[in-house]
Amino acid sequence: MPLVDPITMASAVSKKGAASQTVTVESSVSPTVETYNLLPVSINQTPLAQTLRHAQPLLLSGVLALGFSSLVKDPVAAMSSTTLPLTAALQAAYAVICLPVAGRGGSDAAKKVKPRPGEKASKKKAKEGGNNAYVLAALSLLITALVTPFIYVCMVLFGAPFLTHGSHTLLCAAHLSLLGLFPLFYVHGVDASAWAAVGGFRAPLDETFGGLAGALVGAWLGAVPIPLDWDRDWQRWPVTILVGIYGGYVLGKVIGGTVAWGKKF
Amino acid sequence: MPPPQPTPKKAVPAPDYKTLKSQWDAAKRKKDAENATTSKKAAAAATEPQQQPPAEPNSDEVKLRELRRAALEGRRKKAYQSRWLWTAGFWVWMLAIHLVGLGYFTSGFLLTRLQLDDKSVCEVPPAPAAGGDNILGDWKGKGTVEGGCWHPRTFDKAVVVLIDALRYDFTVPVDDNAEFHNQFPFMYETAVREPNKAFLRPFIADPPTSTLQRLKGLTTGTLPTFIDVGSSFSGTAVEEDNLLMQMREAGKRVVHLGDDTWESLFPGYFEGNLSRPYDSFNVWDLHTVDDGVIEHIFPLMERKGEWDVVIGHLLGVDHAGHRYGPEHPEMGKKLRQMDGFVRELAGKIDERTVLIVMGDHGMDSKGDHGGESDDEVQAALWMYSPKGVFGRTKPEFAVPPATAEERPVNQIDLVPTLALMMGIPIPFNNLGRPIEEVFAGPRGNSWNNLAAAERVSAAGVKRYQASYYAARGMAEESASTPGSPADLWDKAESLVSKGNWVAVYSAFAEYQRETLARCKSLWAQFNIKNMILGIAIMGFGVLVLLVYVSKGAEDDEAVDDPELDDAEKSLEIMGVIPDSELPLENVLERKLVAAAFLGAVPGLIGGALHAYLKGTGDYYRGAAMAALTSIATVGVSLYEIKETLWTLVPSTLWGWMAAVFTLTQSIGFASNSYTIWEDSILLFFITTFGFVTALSALRIQSLSDRYMAIYHSVLFVILGRLASASKLCREEQMPYCTSTYYASSTSSTSALWQLAIPFAVSLILPTIIKGYLQPTRSYEGLAPAWIGYVFRTGLFMSALYWVLDAADNGNWIPGLPEKTLKNLSVYNAQMVLGLAFVAGTTAFMWAPPCVSIVTSASKSTPTRAQVAILGYGNAHGARYLLLPLNFLVSLVLLSKPMGGGAIAILFWQILSLIEILDLNSLSSTPIGPVMLAVLGSFHFFKTGHQAVLSTIQWDSAFIPLFTVRYPWSPVAVVMNTFAGQILAAVCVPLLVLWKASPKRKGVLGEVSRKLGGFVGYFAVEGLACMMWAGHLRRHLMLYRVFMPRFATAGVVLVVVDLVGLGVSLLGTRGNTVAVGEVFGWAE
Repeated sequence: MPLVDPITMASAVSKKGAASQTVTVESSVSPTVETYNLLPVSINQTPLAQTLRHAQPLLLSGVLALGFSSLVKDPVAAMSSTTLPLTAALQAAYAVICLPVAGRGGSDAAKKVKPRPGEKASKKKAKEGGNNAYVLAALSLLITALVTPFIYVCMVLFGAPFLTHGSHTLLCAAHLSLLGLFPLFYVHGVDASAWAAVGGFRAPLDETFGGLAGALVGAWLGAVPIPLDWDRDWQRWPVTILVGIYGGYVLGKVIGGTVAWGKKF
Repeated sequence: MPPPQPTPKKAVPAPDYKTLKSQWDAAKRKKDAENATTSKKAAAAATEPQQQPPAEPNSDEVKLRELRRAALEGRRKKAYQSRWLWTAGFWVWMLAIHLVGLGYFTSGFLLTRLQLDDKSVCEVPPAPAAGGDNILGDWKGKGTVEGGCWHPRTFDKAVVVLIDALRYDFTVPVDDNAEFHNQFPFMYETAVREPNKAFLRPFIADPPTSTLQRLKGLTTGTLPTFIDVGSSFSGTAVEEDNLLMQMREAGKRVVHLGDDTWESLFPGYFEGNLSRPYDSFNVWDLHTVDDGVIEHIFPLMERKGEWDVVIGHLLGVDHAGHRYGPEHPEMGKKLRQMDGFVRELAGKIDERTVLIVMGDHGMDSKGDHGGESDDEVQAALWMYSPKGVFGRTKPEFAVPPATAEERPVNQIDLVPTLALMMGIPIPFNNLGRPIEEVFAGPRGNSWNNLAAAERVSAAGVKRYQASYYAARGMAEESASTPGSPADLWDKAESLVSKGNWVAVYSAFAEYQRETLARCKSLWAQFNIKNMILGIAIMGFGVLVLLVYVSKGAEDDEAVDDPELDDAEKSLEIMGVIPDSELPLENVLERKLVAAAFLGAVPGLIGGALHAYLKGTGDYYRGAAMAALTSIATVGVSLYEIKETLWTLVPSTLWGWMAAVFTLTQSIGFASNSYTIWEDSILLFFITTFGFVTALSALRIQSLSDRYMAIYHSVLFVILGRLASASKLCREEQMPYCTSTYYASSTSSTSALWQLAIPFAVSLILPTIIKGYLQPTRSYEGLAPAWIGYVFRTGLFMSALYWVLDAADNGNWIPGLPEKTLKNLSVYNAQMVLGLAFVAGTTAFMWAPPCVSIVTSASKSTPTRAQVAILGYGNAHGARYLLLPLNFLVSLVLLSKPMGGGAIAILFWQILSLIEILDLNSLSSTPIGPVMLAVLGSFHFFKTGHQAVLSTIQWDSAFIPLFTVRYPWSPVAVVMNTFAGQILAAVCVPLLVLWKASPKRKGVLGEVSRKLGGFVGYFAVEGLACMMWAGHLRRHLMLYRVFMPRFATAGVVLVVVDLVGLGVSLLGTRGNTVAVGEVFGWAE
């Protein structure tokens, strides 16, 4: 087999040529570096928003505490009748009052850097949403409901019961979706690049993204006590996961909104 | 491997590596630019354009260059081979460390007892035959079963009722209102009312208090140990001399009713037409077994001519304990039922028969058992006979003891007692002594009878001890030591002639007590020192392995530039720079192996010398010392190469994931729950990994790569969840688990639909593999023929095997001569294995790389031909893939239909894993080998196994064979049991070789380090299991959970070591040689 052409080698000794070549090569290798830069979401400055912002974790914990005993007894009934509607109402109020609507918040400034596909649509949507935060919240709730089956599938993949406990898992997925994803839908809409940044964990930490990260980690950790043979009622599926989601969300949201605000993974 | 340092003397301006690199880079860029503009040829990634060299100056020069090239290639090949040997040497050392560590711990932990095959014979009593010494003189029929072999016979028949988990306090009056107290008064009442007809005493079990171990003890009279080193390769049948064996020898007809454990321990012992075994597995069913026993035992009482011994084993009390615990109305109900049952049964017993009611163990406060707490070992023993032969040597013994602490008898004492009562010989291995009440006579003063019974059983113990010490090659303690068994024996014997039977009796009893205590300390004591030493060796071994793994990671990156290597090579051939000598003494593995030997020698000598000087004789301690000192020197030499332990702390998300997956599981082995649910936890980790890589894929710039990465991540996760449908539940997972591995939870054959799985595998899998080879244009060379036809045929024949097997088992074709299908299936299986291992290995050794060469006109200079090599970019990986495929075929065959599907999914997941790692640029992180290990462990469970001894599929030994043949039968069982881990271990080199071009440098070192990460996972788990098993050695679940998990981890570690060394490393060598022969030596 012929080894590498020695002639080519010899002809490449010209340093000038090499230097100029280097530049062109490098620029052609990485032309698609993501310059898209998501900014962290700031909470609205109105007194009401600031109050609700701090009250929301307490209220969420209250919802969980309120429903806990019935949750342990009958998870499906408690989730569908108590925790889910209350949490949905709280989250909707939190979004409308505290969060900037889609396209207005942090991601707005970023978009000037480089136009991306899908951005137009979201801008349009942002304008509409700006007119009516309630419509946007309703739309976001709708999307939240639509992605719930997807989260359900994820939970089954993680080992949740496949053929039984369908409503248990689905309701649990709805909680994760409502707590973790709903605020992000509200602030980012369906902006593909923003979601790529969030999904790739490149987005800066704020209350919405921190909440999602916390809820995911909490749900993951919530699985830890399930196998233990303590025979406690609260080990019933999906109580621990649900508690993990609430705990993780509250913790992630508070940390993301305060000390870790603007930081990245 | 350190880079060869070129030392140019002329022509090259700046003689350092960087200059060389910049020159080459420049040339390459220019060429690239030309190619990019002029040649739009596809498959750029997979091909490397080669151009004809320009006209050579003259033929002499050409010859010289050719010579230089050949010499260079030869030197590189030689250097590679010697480097391979040193690497293999390192792994041999690692294996040795693991073996010594495991062996040392095991020697302190797994109490082993040698089983002797000797049997007692009626005509040969163990007592010295000197006539005058005989206490009872001659009795009628002495030496025959009719009269009594070794002692005058008392009873012709026996009815033995075993009430599982009958704790002593269930049977005596206790002043409280507990559900389990005062419900079963009959036995106590009779013992008090008619002391000559009945007695009741506490009956102490030797832990472990599991039924199987207890039945062994109750029939052989031996102490239980976890593993009895016997002559049998499989099966649970008791092979030692035992009561049932003696009964059978004596021509007694034994009927068994109840718990089917008896049938597996004593196959073929029982009267088939009268016996009624019941499944003991279902602890949720309190009544089936009991009702069955009660239903069948009373008719037998009317048909006394048809049996000599009836054994009835009732499980209701035990199941009520397991299910509800003792403090539950069900328990009271159950005990009252037992009371009524025994009351009625006692009424049917005649004077020739003895009725024995006993528990095999007790239960703890939760109703479970297995451990060694007081509640678990304190069972009850009650004997009854209307003949009125039982006596008490003291009047205060007339009332049964109030608690189990007073006057207990050992469970093994039943063995000599029952044997002498029935007139049969005491089983050879017995350590028990006769129970006083039976031989004391109705008035409690037959001291000569007691002394004779005690002496004959003591003589049996003495005979057994002598045989045991002889078989073990140990010396017995001499009689000169006061208080030693031999001393006590001599004293007792000297008393015989004096005729004081009370003294004789107590002297022999003293001898037996002392001997039993010695045996207990010999067989039932953990050797903490050995355990700690074993843990230390394993622990330091793991540390050194991890340092070795992290050490290389930095070294490799510096030099891995194939073009640079090419440039250097060309310069060398042209004579511009002299040959770069490969400094062999710098090879890391060589240093380590040398250090290991250097360290081992003084340790070995020191350990042996210590044993010699101290006279302890434990020369094997030399091995432990050698292991420790050689680990120390290897550790120091790793440290010398500027290594600190800090590098072991993960620095990336992926490093942390690898650490968390390994460590949390290892910590979890301290809890029985996490050990029991290990399969679900592994699925959780697999999905977590896939989930994170899917998210991480969003960071990939190239959109097509991004979608491919997400696709493979999703596929990886879905396949894992799909495989998780294959389950074989362990007892502790009930009732939250449904077995799907076989046709039903009570069957061990596959369902009809499961037979279709291997056919689907043979249809689909080769196509899937093709799909993974095509993107790199590697479905070339031998690959299409081998994968498309040979591999597929092998899989198809495996599928056929299971159909033939099912047809044979189910007798589908009735007219067929016997054995036709069995013959067909076994020869078919042998052909599959021959295809996989003989033909497969040959093909792997001789196959050229999976590439093909196409020639086309060069577009830039149409007069020249351009040569493109398809599959160049994956030359290493595509070729190596043939080796795992060989294993895949044989593992699919050996894993039963459901397991075959799981193994196929495993391989698919491995291919996706490699793609995920490649697309996310994770090949330098430790997550690759760790995920591979997680996958392998996961599929251990998905191929119908659990970390308990009972799930070993012994029948897999008979897939390719008619009878047990060494070493093939154990090999088949190991391949069946650890199919997942074995396949994963064989695939370790793919982590490095996949998409590696022939010019990739340092492949061997990288494979060795990936193997280190892979083995490291199992070594950490093995170490953790070892530590927990040692720490929890008094835990209730020791024998059910921790011990079996440790045993599994230990065997897995040795298996992956052996496969890594013997298959992965050797395969890598063969692969590199084959690629090097064609493309030149890169290493």
